[in-house]
Amino acid sequence: METFNNFIGGTVTLFGDPIGILIFFGGVVGGMLFGAIPGVSMLTLAAILLPFTAHLSAEHGIMLFSVIYCTGVYGGAITAILFNIPGAPENAPTAFDGYPMTLDGRAGKAVGAAVMCSAIGGTVSCIIMMFATAPIAGWAISAFGPPEIFALVFFGLAVAASVGAKTFWKGWLSIMAGLMIAVVGLDPVGGIERYNFNMPYLAAGIHFIPTILGFFAVSEIFVQAEKKATGAYKAPKLSVDFPTFKELWLHKIAVIRSIIIGFFCGILPGIGATLAAFMGYNEAVRWSKDRINFGKGKIEGVISSETANNSATGAAMIPLLALGLPGGALTAMMVGVFQMHDMEPGPLVFINSPDLVWVVFAAMFFANLSILLVGFLEAKTIVNLLRIPFQFLAPMILLLATVGSYAVRGLVIDVVVMFVAGVAGFFLRRSGYSVAGIVLGLILGKIGEQTFAQAMQMLHFEFTGFLSRPIALGLLIAGFLTIAGSVYGAFFKKEAPQNNNADADSTV
Amino acid sequence: MSKLKFSHYFEVFFWLLLVLFFFVYSFEFNKDIEIYKYGATLWPRTILLLIALAAIGQFFDQKKNGDKAASNTMAAAHEGPESNPEHTGAAWYTSTFILLAIPFVYMTVPEKIAPLFSIEEGALGSFRLLCAAGLFLVYLIFAWRNHVGAILALPILFASLLEDVGFYALAPVFIIGVMILMGERRVSRMSLVMPLIYGLLLAFFVSLLYVGLPTGNVSPFYDFGNWVVTKLQ
Repeated sequence: METFNNFIGGTVTLFGDPIGILIFFGGVVGGMLFGAIPGVSMLTLAAILLPFTAHLSAEHGIMLFSVIYCTGVYGGAITAILFNIPGAPENAPTAFDGYPMTLDGRAGKAVGAAVMCSAIGGTVSCIIMMFATAPIAGWAISAFGPPEIFALVFFGLAVAASVGAKTFWKGWLSIMAGLMIAVVGLDPVGGIERYNFNMPYLAAGIHFIPTILGFFAVSEIFVQAEKKATGAYKAPKLSVDFPTFKELWLHKIAVIRSIIIGFFCGILPGIGATLAAFMGYNEAVRWSKDRINFGKGKIEGVISSETANNSATGAAMIPLLALGLPGGALTAMMVGVFQMHDMEPGPLVFINSPDLVWVVFAAMFFANLSILLVGFLEAKTIVNLLRIPFQFLAPMILLLATVGSYAVRGLVIDVVVMFVAGVAGFFLRRSGYSVAGIVLGLILGKIGEQTFAQAMQMLHFEFTGFLSRPIALGLLIAGFLTIAGSVYGAFFKKEAPQNNNADADSTV
Repeated sequence: MSKLKFSHYFEVFFWLLLVLFFFVYSFEFNKDIEIYKYGATLWPRTILLLIALAAIGQFFDQKKNGDKAASNTMAAAHEGPESNPEHTGAAWYTSTFILLAIPFVYMTVPEKIAPLFSIEEGALGSFRLLCAAGLFLVYLIFAWRNHVGAILALPILFASLLEDVGFYALAPVFIIGVMILMGERRVSRMSLVMPLIYGLLLAFFVSLLYVGLPTGNVSPFYDFGNWVVTKLQ
């Protein structure tokens, strides 16, 4: 009852203030729009808005970012489905099946599934977040130390290696390449500069926003450009035929499974929606009787990925608000908003600013609900972007990506890095490597190394220490089994039927 | 029977060379950390070892299965775009490599050769632009025969010129360039679409969000960039 009263209080505070309403709807539309415009993402919007939050109250600033987070994660699915350009890494698995559906003339169904499942995943996750923040945060603090987080990162990377690339080896090499990119910069324990090649820019490491934009948005333009140059380009077919409730009801188990996976991935600091989406998708494949059709336009792939990543958004707020640990890039920016208002996220926020917490919770709940309404309207508009000839869309996407990568730090070299990543992504994709794997390696690499170092210090540099931690041990064994299964499959199993769908080329 | 092709040998050679290079370079930062006995090198060297193992594993897999995705169901479902035969030969790669090298030549060479021509610091900007014009001619010569390579290189060339010429003067040329390389030939369409894209971008980012984009640092581009910003903000 107390939770319900707090929620009502938060709702009244949110909608009782005209400026609050304006910021809320601005965040809803802005998140969706930036998530959906190819070449930019919610991170671009958040980075642009970050300096301006100093002029807002702490409540409004945090609320704005949390709303952008919810709707932006959904918005990224639109570009993943329509253009094979995931708005953010967490939308990468959505492209696996969403884009083949677009090529097949079923873009509307894929977008509709993304809208409904994002709203369901996000809303359920928000409700659980409100009720379970305190007990779950308490459990995570006690059960998940650095060894467990490292083991989870390892397991996540092992799973991701088997998804997206042409073979397991290429998937693994892609992940490792991402991990190597993450090594550039300062080492997390001693602050020693690594692989800087005497270039000041590299001393701080390679920023992930230009890299993501390059590997996803720019390389996609290059792939399509090659097709245009050789006459192999086929404009995606257009449709606004949303799925029926009955169609979605058939996948209720996938939705429930993805909500659970998404929530538990989201709650762990530093893991967040990306791993949630990959695991949600991978589990959908694992449990399906029709595995071979995943990646060729199966709606269950979109449903699993989008439910899981939005389910992670609510959960990601738990470590941020309860522990002060950001779960990803956007929640890290939220820490910046807190700091701009002389506040530190953490347990004290619940004591000192309960109003702020409940306004944020209420805003996230209504933002997820609004995906249903605004998302459908917006999707119908955005789908029409497909009518624009690609030769006109391409310069726009490249320039948006330029502005997006430059706006983060104001460095021209970030733009160069982005386009170089785009060229690298083009050649890697031609060779069957996974650009999503590289980006996942890049994002999880720093967390992986940091938690490994902390774990080893905790375990007095004894690897056998992992044996005494059941969760970490279980995750490590699961990771090793996943890799062993893939290696065994590569060498000893019969050849799988080849993909006959020539158009099902994905970004990954 | 072995199904190995030249590209497979190239792939394994590339990865192992990369591993060797990064392993040797890791000695540059092989320093002790008091609280962490593994130092700063354990993590990267472990990754390098795994890369080497995966590259060798891939080589043997390719020897058995060729380019086919083996038993990995997900992989079979997510094949990347196939290489176009027109864009795989040694001549194509050489020409593409030259095109991609042009922006990096522009970023590094003019400042190094300026003293040879007794260029004063004040005239360095103009000298760089002169070099840019020369390199652009080289770009056009290679772009004429290699459209895909030209598309890959154009954005990097654009980025390398941003510092000197600025976004405001360069973006219209870039828009037109991309449209032409993408096969658009109708002047009427291009003259309509270019101002539209340029105007929308500037209105949204510069006028509305006050995003500061590079104005350039060589006259008259610098003056033009500042004029646009002043008008819009």
